[in-house]
Amino acid sequence: MIELKGVTRRFGDAVAVDDIDLTIETGEVCVLVGSSGCGKSTTLRMINRLLPSTSGEILVDGEDINKVDPEALRLNMGYAIQSTGLFPHWTVARNIGVVPNLLKWPARKRDERVNELLILLGLDPATDAIKYPHQLSGGQAQRVGVARALAGDPNILLMDEPFGALDAITRENLQQEMLRIQRQLNKTTVFVTHDIDEALKLATRIAVMDQGRIIQHDTPEAILRRPASAFVENLIGKGDRGLKLLALRTVGELMEGHSQPREPEPGADGLNEADSLRFALSVMVWENTLQLPVYNGAGEEVGTVKREHLLQGGA
Amino acid sequence: MRVWLTPVVWIASLCALAAWLPTMTPLFSWVQPGTDNLIYNRDSFYVLLQSHIWLVLASATIGTLVAVSAGIFATRPAGRDFLPLVSQIASIGQTVPPVALLALAVPVMGFGEKPTLFALVLYGLLPILRNTLTGLNGINPAVLESAKGMGMSSAQVLLKVELPLAGRVILAGIRTSVTINIATAAIGSTIGARTLGDPVIAGLVNGNTAYVLQGAILIGLLALATDSLFEAIERTWARAFAV
Amino acid sequence: MLPNRVLSNRVLSNRVVLALALAAFGCVWLLNLGVVQPNRIVTGTGYGLYAATGWLGAGIVSSLLLVVVVLATRPVHKRYEVLAALLTVALMTLPLLLEVFALHKLPTDSAYARIGIGAGFWCLAFFLALILLETLGQLRASRRFQLSTVLLIVAGWWLCASREGLSSLSLIREYTNRADQFAQALAVHLSLSLSAVAISAVLAFALALAMVRRERMRRPLLGLVSFMQTIPSLALFGLLIAPLGALSAAFPFLQALGIRGIGWAPALLALIAYSLLPMVRNTYVALIEVPESVVDAGRGMGMSERQIFMQVKLPLALPVIIEGVRITTIQAIGLTAVAALIGAGGFGTFIFQGLGQAAMDLVLLGALPTVFLALAADAILSALKFKEASR
Repeated sequence: MIELKGVTRRFGDAVAVDDIDLTIETGEVCVLVGSSGCGKSTTLRMINRLLPSTSGEILVDGEDINKVDPEALRLNMGYAIQSTGLFPHWTVARNIGVVPNLLKWPARKRDERVNELLILLGLDPATDAIKYPHQLSGGQAQRVGVARALAGDPNILLMDEPFGALDAITRENLQQEMLRIQRQLNKTTVFVTHDIDEALKLATRIAVMDQGRIIQHDTPEAILRRPASAFVENLIGKGDRGLKLLALRTVGELMEGHSQPREPEPGADGLNEADSLRFALSVMVWENTLQLPVYNGAGEEVGTVKREHLLQGGA
Repeated sequence: MRVWLTPVVWIASLCALAAWLPTMTPLFSWVQPGTDNLIYNRDSFYVLLQSHIWLVLASATIGTLVAVSAGIFATRPAGRDFLPLVSQIASIGQTVPPVALLALAVPVMGFGEKPTLFALVLYGLLPILRNTLTGLNGINPAVLESAKGMGMSSAQVLLKVELPLAGRVILAGIRTSVTINIATAAIGSTIGARTLGDPVIAGLVNGNTAYVLQGAILIGLLALATDSLFEAIERTWARAFAV
Repeated sequence: MLPNRVLSNRVLSNRVVLALALAAFGCVWLLNLGVVQPNRIVTGTGYGLYAATGWLGAGIVSSLLLVVVVLATRPVHKRYEVLAALLTVALMTLPLLLEVFALHKLPTDSAYARIGIGAGFWCLAFFLALILLETLGQLRASRRFQLSTVLLIVAGWWLCASREGLSSLSLIREYTNRADQFAQALAVHLSLSLSAVAISAVLAFALALAMVRRERMRRPLLGLVSFMQTIPSLALFGLLIAPLGALSAAFPFLQALGIRGIGWAPALLALIAYSLLPMVRNTYVALIEVPESVVDAGRGMGMSERQIFMQVKLPLALPVIIEGVRITTIQAIGLTAVAALIGAGGFGTFIFQGLGQAAMDLVLLGALPTVFLALAADAILSALKFKEASR
């Protein structure tokens, strides 16, 4: 658990972070979102003491971080940033192994961990491990960056716009991976982004920041349904709010389930349980149908979803 | 291994020539007819070569230690205030001709090896200092930020990240410094240091072209051998870090 | 809190100025300010600050440094402006210290007695100059302002040097004894180094153009010029003596032109050889790095290749080319001093004569103008580069 109590940070006369209170529960993904200069990165960098706070208190699992040795604090917090910051003179494997090395893990345990992470992030332990950072694509480098942040098996993960510099498709892929990894590892994560869609997708809770203050701190759904101010309303975009809400829920949550899974009809098109309602609506509009069958991961038909339900109860 | 072939060949020919020059009287009698003193004999070429190399090596070692420490100091939080001045000294200092510095060392320290070494250290540390600053300041800030963010201590960041990354630039500075110092050490003969410049100066004073030629050839070979040695080191370094 | 303290600390005290002022204080009290010599060869007796200039001089110097320390550590209003003004005046009038010394200590009964400058004086001047440099940096002074400050100081020294009171300074004695030779050395030094720069500039331009046109020539040409740069000056001068001597012996008309194994001919050749690397490299890089898009835009507007070269490429490349000229000029001024060893003349003559006679002030008379010429060339060409780059 991370608690920020009345935390303020000034740069000279300018106030970057203005007396904020924020509690991030264990296992939660808290996304700090806001335009550039709103203080979200400053907040993140105060949590691992890369920046000292001007006043206020930050507690990690109930302990004041200023009472802990900064290096020990950081060793227990994974840190990934937009420009990756990979060490250009080290191979991918050595980059990922840096924190295990700092923690003085035995070589075997470290190498196993590096392999495990390479596989977890969809990299090839045989070929990619011996590459140098300049030989990687942007997406690969970012995967290595995330792997490096996870390597010491930290309790907390801090990520500063890690996917900000990637193209749309690669970013989408990595966001999916993030969700998958998070389901697997359940790390307390603080994630900074300026992209509200990324925030809605990854967060269990979103903190919207503006001019150094937290405007609203709530679940993605609550943010969409009840924006606290005109600023938040603007940020989430009034126009496609409905579609964004649909995107938060899956087909599985809304379908009328069959009593028993059935064999699929041959040639029939349909949806997957895990698809978002937004996707379902899009397919229905495109195919001009009133309902679609829903399949589970094994390919069995488990229910149907109807357009009218979608329109009535989706959002 | 092949990169080391060139320096080995140069160094071998330097040693061989230092040994065989005294036997090449016919050649020099053609250059300088009408005299019996064809081979410089106040000191053996080996002694001169040794003393020349010692001067350059000592000045390079001291210069590197001082310049790299100063460069590290000026780029730490505690020394940041000194950075603008230190880098200005490094660049303005290099405007001063080395021979003038050598000459100015004499009124302060007298004649001999000492003022030569002093001038070589002082002048030689400037290119190393400038390159150390360039190298350390040129590191991508994101790399340093993430090194700190990973939990490295300042000393670990310096030793594991900063110095290896700046190493190539620092090495290039040392190469420049040594190249200049080999030349300046030769001129050090005029202020009483014993170097390969001795035969040249003696030859110029006595109008003996044979002496001049013997000194000049050995100095030239020493410079080329050293340069190719640095070339090999730089290549090996580049390969070790694949950058 | 921590960050605030760091912040206010920086406003409060300038550790750089403080350290330099303390170093100056230590040097000026510990080292000899000046030396009294019975004649030009014999080593003289040294005098410290107090012994040399009495209470007045010691008091003025010490209180100057004290004021600097106070300004460095206290948040005085406009302190960098005050420091800059104070240091400029101090540096301008610094030679008066030697005049006071001469007044106090010079024996009046000997025509050969003279005073020499001690290490303490040089250190004081050096540290004051560094403090001024730091102060100008803190003020973010413009180039023009910095240059005028330097010119003011030089003018101050010039005025002091021409006063009667300093005529007993050994450096000035050496100069007055050799005023004609000095003028000649200046002329030779300048003409040798500048003509080497000019010739190598033309040569390098042609070589760089050839390299731009034919990529194949790049490696061998750069290899050749950097090979020559590696050879130490003394060796290259020495190696040129025998072939040039032989040529001059074989062709009398060359001898009539003054081309011999020693003298200006090998010096000029070697200077040109050394100048080629920085000149060729900078010119080539400058020409090659003109952005393709700019050249394309020129083409698109219907400029001919010649117009593109003259109106687009050359102006854009000029600052980098001037940087090459700057490096080359500084280097040539230094190497010309070495060339005195093979009889080329110039300020190096004084240096090596002085070394030969163990007359330190003659060494200074050669070394100081050489340094001054190099610094002046640096200032002028940097200003020119800056002007071109900011256009």
